[in-house]
Amino acid sequence: MIWLSWRQFRPQALVAGCVLAGLAILLLSTGFGVAHLYHDSGLPGCPDTRACQHALFVFSNELRGSIYEFVFYLSIALIYLAPALIGAFWGAPLVAREAETGTLRLAWSQSVSRSRWLLVKVAMLGLTAMAVAGLLSLMLYLWSQTAYKAGKYASAHGPSGLSITRLSPLLFGTNGIAPIGYAAFAFAVGLAAGVLIKRTLPAMAVTLAVLALVLVGWPALVRSHLIPPVHTTSILRGPNIAGLGISGSQKMTVFVGADKPGAWVISDQAVNAAGQQYSGRPPRACLSKSFNGCTKAILALGLKQAISYEPASRYWALQGSETGAYLLFAVALAGACTLRIRRRRLA
Amino acid sequence: MLWLTWRQFRVQAVIAATAVAVVAIGLLATGFGVRSRFKAAGLPGCQVHHDCQHVASLYVTALRESQPYTLFFNSGVLFLHAVPALIGLFWAAPLIAREFETGTFRLAWNQSVSRSRWIATKLGFIALVAMATAGLLSLLITWWASPIDKALALAGQTAPIGEYTMDPLIFGARGIAPIGYAALAVALGVTFGVLIRRTLPAMGLTLASFVAVQVIWANWIRQHLISPKVASWKISPVNLNAFMISGPARKVTVIGAWRPPGGWVLSNQTVTPAGHVFTGPATSACLSGSQNVCDAWLASKHLHQLVTFQPASRFWTLQWLETGIFLLAAVALTIFCAQRIRRRRLT
Repeated sequence: MIWLSWRQFRPQALVAGCVLAGLAILLLSTGFGVAHLYHDSGLPGCPDTRACQHALFVFSNELRGSIYEFVFYLSIALIYLAPALIGAFWGAPLVAREAETGTLRLAWSQSVSRSRWLLVKVAMLGLTAMAVAGLLSLMLYLWSQTAYKAGKYASAHGPSGLSITRLSPLLFGTNGIAPIGYAAFAFAVGLAAGVLIKRTLPAMAVTLAVLALVLVGWPALVRSHLIPPVHTTSILRGPNIAGLGISGSQKMTVFVGADKPGAWVISDQAVNAAGQQYSGRPPRACLSKSFNGCTKAILALGLKQAISYEPASRYWALQGSETGAYLLFAVALAGACTLRIRRRRLA
Repeated sequence: MLWLTWRQFRVQAVIAATAVAVVAIGLLATGFGVRSRFKAAGLPGCQVHHDCQHVASLYVTALRESQPYTLFFNSGVLFLHAVPALIGLFWAAPLIAREFETGTFRLAWNQSVSRSRWIATKLGFIALVAMATAGLLSLLITWWASPIDKALALAGQTAPIGEYTMDPLIFGARGIAPIGYAALAVALGVTFGVLIRRTLPAMGLTLASFVAVQVIWANWIRQHLISPKVASWKISPVNLNAFMISGPARKVTVIGAWRPPGGWVLSNQTVTPAGHVFTGPATSACLSGSQNVCDAWLASKHLHQLVTFQPASRFWTLQWLETGIFLLAAVALTIFCAQRIRRRRLT
């Protein structure tokens, strides 16, 4: 059964191997350049905050618009696409193709039981999918280590220009162990779609649609509730005012910046004493061009800054709970599929 | 032949119509919000003077950070780039490949309809529907974003970067470019279907080649379609974007602040009167002197800011050129496919 699974899986495994090798070559050839820039900028061992801010500015300016930025975004896109493609090209055709071409009758008339047939195939493909995702994440992590180290020096006040945190919604799913969970879940969704729909192309389309919804909706709706975020309310200080939005002369919105390096800031508002976002009339000083007068007037309003965030220390807890949740769903789906094919009539 | 093509295409057409309807409803519902915020900010009928720039820039920033518009900002562009790829994947690649894989091409080619008419009708129908879908989505997004485009035009130099229609990420999602992409995706799908004659590998190769074409085109080819303009501005020490001293060699990097409003900046360098990029090295004037001494030293170098860019006025020219080239490529691939099919033996 293992030999048969491998024999049927060979072309897809070859494609996965080529993609991994291609990415490895690309990252290897550019990785030394990034490390070089990092050391040249003066960031390692910078003596004080001002020097570190300056070095960070130099580093991020070298990176922006360079080939390294392109390679980084390409790798991120690949890590996000990989689970979707695994679900569509490995998971969906697994059972659907056999059902469509009729070879299911041959496969299920052998001495191997249906459950064993499916479980060996699922184990081989599922574990390979998780390994591929893990390797992709590892390769990108090794390559971008220096950029993440540099990002730790960034603060909300300085003109650093390098806002790269592991926890940010865009990057969280590309590092750590999260991609492994996604790959397993995507494979299971593809498998389930194939078992239910029994036609390859519709199963692939449904898999892609479901995965797009889940992978986009999860960070926005669910991730921030996995571990309840920290809420702090503090007095609004001058340096934290990031900007003003004045519409007409009736409504003013105050934009604030939080100084929580490495954290994932979920919401960040200027609130009044009752705890609601401030949207009153702008003080006279702000309608003229005087920035200092405006700042004083806003501070005189006695507003508070309410931040809701996940601190950087929770990175591994969040990664673990997210991967655990996805793996749980994957195992549940695979189990449900096994039960379903046991009861399906052959004719 | 037309009825047969429609009958085989029915399911895909219904799915496409549903997807477009859902997106259209979402865009229509939020589009009125975009417009009402534009009016509330006082922007229609605004004359281009200092206050107006700031208000327009704030309008765009505030819009981008408030739900549900954030979702549309981020996913609208992504969706419009994904649509041609999905069309090539699910409509075009299986079109001919499935007939070869299941052997039904023998039945189809033994009818009274000639092979040329068969491929022409199938391909023409799919290509027209694909281009119409892409065009319709592009039109909807343009309607949705037209207040934002107006605000960006008003904001001029103060506008947040990365939202202009000339920006590489957004260019391919606006105007008529998606129509060219859809045509090329269909042509690529059918070509790989004819060459490989197996559905899943054809789908995989179509996706890989289409993504490769898009990435290479956007990053390296589009900027050379029309020779970029070069503008030269005198560097004044008070109007700089960046001034950095880095490395043991005390290399000086100076970046001027001028940006072509709405244009696509390809390179921004500071050059000496001789025409070389200015690299310092920094003297004691800037290492230990005061701000005035450093400014005077910089001014004595008579530096110029050399910006290579594509101006915003070239947007439609580039769109027509790009769409034309993609359509030509699609036609060439189609002719190749038609020849292959006409000459293929039945056994």
